[in-house]
Amino acid sequence: MSKLAHPVRGRRVHGIAGGITPAANKAASLRSRIMPCPLAPLYTLPLTQYKSVPLTPAVQAGDYVQKYQRLTTSANPDAAHVHAPTSGRIAAIRNCLIADRVETLAPCIELVPDGADTALGCSPVPDFRKLPTSELFQRIIDAGICGMGGAGFPVAQKLRLAQSADCQLLIINAVECEPFISADHALLRERAADVLLGAEIVQTVCRAARCVIALKRDMHAAISATRSALAHSTVEMLLVDSKYPAGAERQLIEAVTGMQLPAGSLPLEAGILMLNAGTTYACGQAVVTGSPCISRITTLTGSALTTPKNFEALIGTPVTFLLELCGVKQHDHTATVLGGSLLGVELASLAVPSTQTTNCLIAATSADLPQSEPELACIRCGYCADVCPVRLLPQQLHAFARNHAHAQLQDYGLTECIECGACDYVCPSHIPLVQYFRAGKQELRDATRHFEQAESWRTRFQQHQYRLKREKESARERRRPESQPTSAPVSRHSPAFSREQAQNEIAAAVARSKARQQARTNRLLASVPKSSGDPEDSGGVA
Amino acid sequence: MYPLIDTALIRLLLWAFLLLALLGLGVTAMRYWRRKLADQHSLVDRINALLPQTQCGACGFEGCLPYARAIANGQAINQCPPGGDGTIIRLGNLLNELPRTLNPAHGVVVEPRVAFIREDECIGCTKCIRACPVDAILGGPKLMHTVIARECTGCDLCVEPCPVDCIEMRPLGPDHSPRWVLPNSGSGTRTSLEVTR
Amino acid sequence: MSVQLHSRVLQRAPQSTRAIMLQVMLACTPGILLSVWFFGYGIVLNIVLASAFALFTEAVILSVRARNWWQGLQDNSALVTAVLFGIAVPPGLPWWLVATGIVFAIAIVKHSFGGLGQNPFNPAMSGYLLLLLAYPLDMTAWHVPATRLFDDTAISTLGWYGLQQSLLASFPGLPLPSATSLPAIDGLAMATPLIEFKMAATSALLSARESGLSFFARESGTGWELVNFGYLLGGLYLLARRIISWHIPVSIIGTVALLATLLYAPNSFAIYGTPYLHLFGSATMLGAFFIATDPVSAATTRRGQLLYGVCIGLGIYCIRVWGSYLDSVAIAVLFGNLCAPLLDHWCRPTIYGHGARQLPVTGGEWKA
Repeated sequence: MSKLAHPVRGRRVHGIAGGITPAANKAASLRSRIMPCPLAPLYTLPLTQYKSVPLTPAVQAGDYVQKYQRLTTSANPDAAHVHAPTSGRIAAIRNCLIADRVETLAPCIELVPDGADTALGCSPVPDFRKLPTSELFQRIIDAGICGMGGAGFPVAQKLRLAQSADCQLLIINAVECEPFISADHALLRERAADVLLGAEIVQTVCRAARCVIALKRDMHAAISATRSALAHSTVEMLLVDSKYPAGAERQLIEAVTGMQLPAGSLPLEAGILMLNAGTTYACGQAVVTGSPCISRITTLTGSALTTPKNFEALIGTPVTFLLELCGVKQHDHTATVLGGSLLGVELASLAVPSTQTTNCLIAATSADLPQSEPELACIRCGYCADVCPVRLLPQQLHAFARNHAHAQLQDYGLTECIECGACDYVCPSHIPLVQYFRAGKQELRDATRHFEQAESWRTRFQQHQYRLKREKESARERRRPESQPTSAPVSRHSPAFSREQAQNEIAAAVARSKARQQARTNRLLASVPKSSGDPEDSGGVA
Repeated sequence: MYPLIDTALIRLLLWAFLLLALLGLGVTAMRYWRRKLADQHSLVDRINALLPQTQCGACGFEGCLPYARAIANGQAINQCPPGGDGTIIRLGNLLNELPRTLNPAHGVVVEPRVAFIREDECIGCTKCIRACPVDAILGGPKLMHTVIARECTGCDLCVEPCPVDCIEMRPLGPDHSPRWVLPNSGSGTRTSLEVTR
Repeated sequence: MSVQLHSRVLQRAPQSTRAIMLQVMLACTPGILLSVWFFGYGIVLNIVLASAFALFTEAVILSVRARNWWQGLQDNSALVTAVLFGIAVPPGLPWWLVATGIVFAIAIVKHSFGGLGQNPFNPAMSGYLLLLLAYPLDMTAWHVPATRLFDDTAISTLGWYGLQQSLLASFPGLPLPSATSLPAIDGLAMATPLIEFKMAATSALLSARESGLSFFARESGTGWELVNFGYLLGGLYLLARRIISWHIPVSIIGTVALLATLLYAPNSFAIYGTPYLHLFGSATMLGAFFIATDPVSAATTRRGQLLYGVCIGLGIYCIRVWGSYLDSVAIAVLFGNLCAPLLDHWCRPTIYGHGARQLPVTGGEWKA
């Protein structure tokens, strides 16, 4: 297998197309160090760490569990399991509100801590290089880590794919370009060495030839900390422009390699594995300390908090509990946002738990995030096309999406849109472009599904026609040697005869069926006054 | 002092440009003509691709392909109830015809449905199997039949032949998966005709 | 019914259509003030009249189209159309002509295509062209009060006398106190220097030039070059505020300047004119910075905008020099509008992952 044709070029970086530079709003939460999180009164642990990998609970309500204890089982060996964040008793296993795109009910384990925080013993490893790769990988699998950048794809599965895909380059993504979020910045500032250790472990596991950690140019404290930690490491550091969305997967690949990922292909197909800095840190901790992933760095910020800071939040901590740790100014607090200010979602309910993908919570005032203004007509100013990192033409796509022009949507590359929201940010007419594009993509997906369905019906119809024709021909073939050409009436007669016979049979069957139906009706009628005697009927009556 | 470019040169350039333009026009026209010839062959295919492929025969033809052939020969485009307005509009776009409302003689638009055999009533007569245009019913003589719901087009053709009336058309359950929708249009925007499926 | 997903980007850039339109109008003010200084109140009367009719028409049409007319007026787009139209038409135009032009621009050119954002042609220039075709004489004569810059012996365009004259020109028959005592209009029917230069064969201008008078002697309209500098200033402001991109103005001005330089022939044909005359002797700057950059009807891709500018520049120069119309910016801009959709289609940028610099990709054999 050839090396990457254009390897990383020193520290020179290729700029991405477009991009925006919104106010970063990170300074407030970076003022303090990463704080440990006190125990919450209740932990809600969602059983769906990633949508395609269902987990079954291995504990029951009332069970006593210890910190680090695995709570789930799965048929998938690479599933990201849920572990108890502290010791306590399982209160219930039931459907609770979790924050997805919309607040949805999902099966969760509710854990009431006992305050003792007694932990299962872990087996720390002083030097990971002495362990075989398979052991390193197993430790990462057992830790139940999900991608902490956003999508939450189980890391074990990603690494498994990377092992079989001949991975050349590992990129640690610490760019964190979205406003308000400072979790990776704080992590690198204080634990750069641990992150780099994690990077080396992942590099060993996926057998990548080289490893690059990418930071944004304006993360000064993180850069200096990383630089001093790099002295003991083989990892290279790369600084990218301070604009959004420099940290998006495909854009960062272009920044690092100087080349673009071909449309429709995944990074691993080009031999590139990308992991978020927080994920890398969790992998490192999983191997070095032997403990599973039960926490992540979460930024708590927004002008409605008196002391914004970064917390090492345990998975399952209620959002309200986290916010109260920073002191919420109740009368200013207008909205709570999960994620950054561009791609985040407004939480309708604060009862949801934080998860491995909760990188930021913004308690916003009306000054932070003003109310949305009414959508005006597009004046085709083209600002959106200037900032699009994929070099699409959002002004055209918007018109096509509104008119359901599927062919043009496809032609103008809607499927390449990464939904970063840069176009939305600059639009002077306040058009929710991302929403239009998501709806357009949905329509394209639906259209494809309908097309495939119709295609399958069409083929089946053709096969059906073909079969009828063949049967007719073979019937004619069969008849010809038996009977004389003059005996056509006879041959026509015989099926009529058989048809008659069949009709008789059918009539008899109809009578039988009717009788059976009648009998059942009678039985039903009879069973009504008897009420709950027959278990089969009681369902029908109730 | 003379102009940097004299009039003779301009005239030369103009002629050259004109010639080139004519040449380009010629080539384009030829390519267009060839393309059009090729398209004539595939017209039936392209019409067929727009039809819903339910093979229900409500249009008065044996299936979608026969109806597509008939449309190519001038049959009205508003005879397909399963396709609804969307199909008529798309056919009209393809054939440069004004969209019309569905001809009520051929039925009304119904939501997508799927056939269901009440299996304890089925007597195994195979009549529905023979009626099904896409072979989506499984079963043998005097054996219970069942519908492969994924392959059923909801065409209704199996209901009538059943001697014991054990087949019913059930509406496809509503899709509860979350969907992205176009934003609520503010002032000055109005979504165009919704294509119904 | 399935769950409907909605999202919005929570943080937005502090920019709005309304503010953009206001800034465009703000950027017009140096040019307008200089025009007033040189040509009197006529241009202001034009703008005021056009704005009033534009707002009224916009409100009526919006309510006919069952839209919220108050919200529709908030975007200021009708005002910008009115201001550009008012600048473009000559001062001293009777009020009913101003009304005809702007009502046509708003009602037909803008709203019959679907309102703001949908019109394929620049409304202001379409209205101007309608008037130019229907009333060629009124549209080419600039009835301005007699003027003399930096010369206090003559009557100023400003002041009470000038205002009365302008009002009389716009509203003929207006019972002004001094109306009876005034000649209806001073009668300096003055065209742009370019037009005069074009008709130079029969004009006194050429003889004035030959007799050693500078081309920019006052009689031939010294004001025009300064007015053009005013619009250039406004255009630079728009560029600095990033309201417009440099592509369209630069390519228009570049094309006109290039053609004018290449084809300049002082001795053979008078109509070719100097590059300076082409750039500052008529409405080139107004067209390049304010009219052709109307985003709705212009090309929207950056490369398309360069070609669009070339189209307009060619149009401006060719119509001026070889055409029979006296001024050409309006026609050239409409010609450019006509080409814009095709240019946009040709000049689509290469989407990420479709270009030449692509990473080598292995087959997807590892895929599940």
